[in-house]
Amino acid sequence: MKKKKILRAVSPYLWLLPSILLMVIFILFPIFEVFRTSLSEVSRAGIIKGFAGLDNFTKVMKSSAFGMVLKNTVVWTIVVVGLSTVSGFALAMVLNNEFRGRKIVRAIVVFPWATSLIIQAGVWKFIIDSDYGTLNTLLMKLGLISKAVNWTPTPEAYFAWECWVGIFVTVPFVTFCVLSGLQSIDASFYESATVDGAGFWQKLFFITLPLVRSSLTVSTVLNIIYVFNSFPIIWTITKGDPANRTDTLVTYLYKQAFYKGRTGEAAAISVIGFLILCVCASVYMVLSLRKEEQDA
Amino acid sequence: MRSPKEKTYMKKARTPKEKAGRIALYVFVVCLALVVLYPYFVMFTTALKSRAEIYAMKGTLLPIVWEWNNFTDVWSLAPLARYFINSIVVAGGATAISIICGIPAAYALSRMRFRGKKFFLGLVIVSQMFAPVVLLVGIYKIMSMFHLTNTLVGLIFINAAFNQAFAIWLLRGTFMSISPEMEKAATIDGCNQVQAMIRVLLPVAAPGIVTALIFVFINAWNEYTVALTLISDDALKPLTVGITTFNGYNMIEWQYLFASSLFATIPVVILFVCIEKHLVGGLTSGGVKG
Repeated sequence: MKKKKILRAVSPYLWLLPSILLMVIFILFPIFEVFRTSLSEVSRAGIIKGFAGLDNFTKVMKSSAFGMVLKNTVVWTIVVVGLSTVSGFALAMVLNNEFRGRKIVRAIVVFPWATSLIIQAGVWKFIIDSDYGTLNTLLMKLGLISKAVNWTPTPEAYFAWECWVGIFVTVPFVTFCVLSGLQSIDASFYESATVDGAGFWQKLFFITLPLVRSSLTVSTVLNIIYVFNSFPIIWTITKGDPANRTDTLVTYLYKQAFYKGRTGEAAAISVIGFLILCVCASVYMVLSLRKEEQDA
Repeated sequence: MRSPKEKTYMKKARTPKEKAGRIALYVFVVCLALVVLYPYFVMFTTALKSRAEIYAMKGTLLPIVWEWNNFTDVWSLAPLARYFINSIVVAGGATAISIICGIPAAYALSRMRFRGKKFFLGLVIVSQMFAPVVLLVGIYKIMSMFHLTNTLVGLIFINAAFNQAFAIWLLRGTFMSISPEMEKAATIDGCNQVQAMIRVLLPVAAPGIVTALIFVFINAWNEYTVALTLISDDALKPLTVGITTFNGYNMIEWQYLFASSLFATIPVVILFVCIEKHLVGGLTSGGVKG
């Protein structure tokens, strides 16, 4: 009898065990290792030589590129997430209408979400190329420009294009999150609002936005994390060059770790990235767990 | 499940203002579709051009000569078949592991009460917060410890671990939307809990499980950064890393790069279009309502 009781108390944990093992070994342990490495003196071969205190962090902070990299990361995250959220929301409003071919358009909108970032970024790198890029060809054929334009005259221009690709691949996710929120709104809300004389903007702000708020929260917070950590787009188009002008934290840390052999500093950059993301993670957890309590 | 608001009939435009709105809607939607399809159009047409034509001074929209043999040539110019198999092994393996670990976890989270449930849910969310790229230094270390660098097994486990959170989240949402009554009846009939889950719950939850399967598969298929870092052996590269062979140091073989990219893209895009509807339902019901 007693044995059975113990079994019942333990059984939920047995169900969780495989998943916990997977997480502990392949996520929590690397997290621990990154923290340990960030506080250690590491040889070029990656061997930990001893405790180094905050040396790695001061080295990172002191390096001339770091300020720019941090700024790029913030700009990249805010621009991509911000514009994707606004345009994804608008797009969802449009796609929520009934029209012929809606199913096809919805399927097409999913394409960028399903395509590997590395491939999507590769195509755009080709499109904007100043020598043989097809954007110039297209615009000339359409008669919009008369001679080839150099689309990437400066590093900033490259960075802007990288943001564009980031937006291009992020919008579908926002659109579909908002769409699923929109479809759960009862049409009668709008009908009675129209009867009461509410205009488009009033309906938007007083009915639509409050009701899709939770969908928007999920998509925004997840996007902040995905975009902040996004590596392939920048890596494919510019590799963060020239001179770190288009680097974000993740491409910068990748170069530090695997090109320059500065593992300790790379780990310190990871930790800095963690701390920034932890703020977002806790906001997310507070929001979603609070939601959970409300529903329970 | 079809929501009642998804009307299949069309609203007839009555006033001129409404008509203008309809036209604007169609113009917008067509433009949107063209913009989204543009990179795919470029990929396809460029894959059919010769190198000389791509690098020619005067660009063309459609190929002058349609080089269909580019699509066959890529298979011999790079071990594309090998890359394909590697991608299938990695994505398939990662999917299997994350679902095998995810189903019991999602089951416990949706059907049982226990201490630490909230903590575990929090852990699942937090693990979703960390992309492998930020942890690469640590991942590389643990992989060398287990001698898993430069192996497909290593890639499988990393992809499984990082996609598991999403699978659990989706599955939990699905399981919670299914009443536990049937399983209770089955246990009374003499099934144990595991049998009840497998025989009663899983068949009903099949659409949700398939969605989770496909989603993890696509994510692992498209993964690039970890594979780039862990795999050095050409014969072990998955497609995403392998196709960059054509992205040479001096000269990019765009036609081959895009031909192989199309092969890598088409299967997952089709899969994704199939699950699109279920995925978002699962996302928000599992993610928001808990």
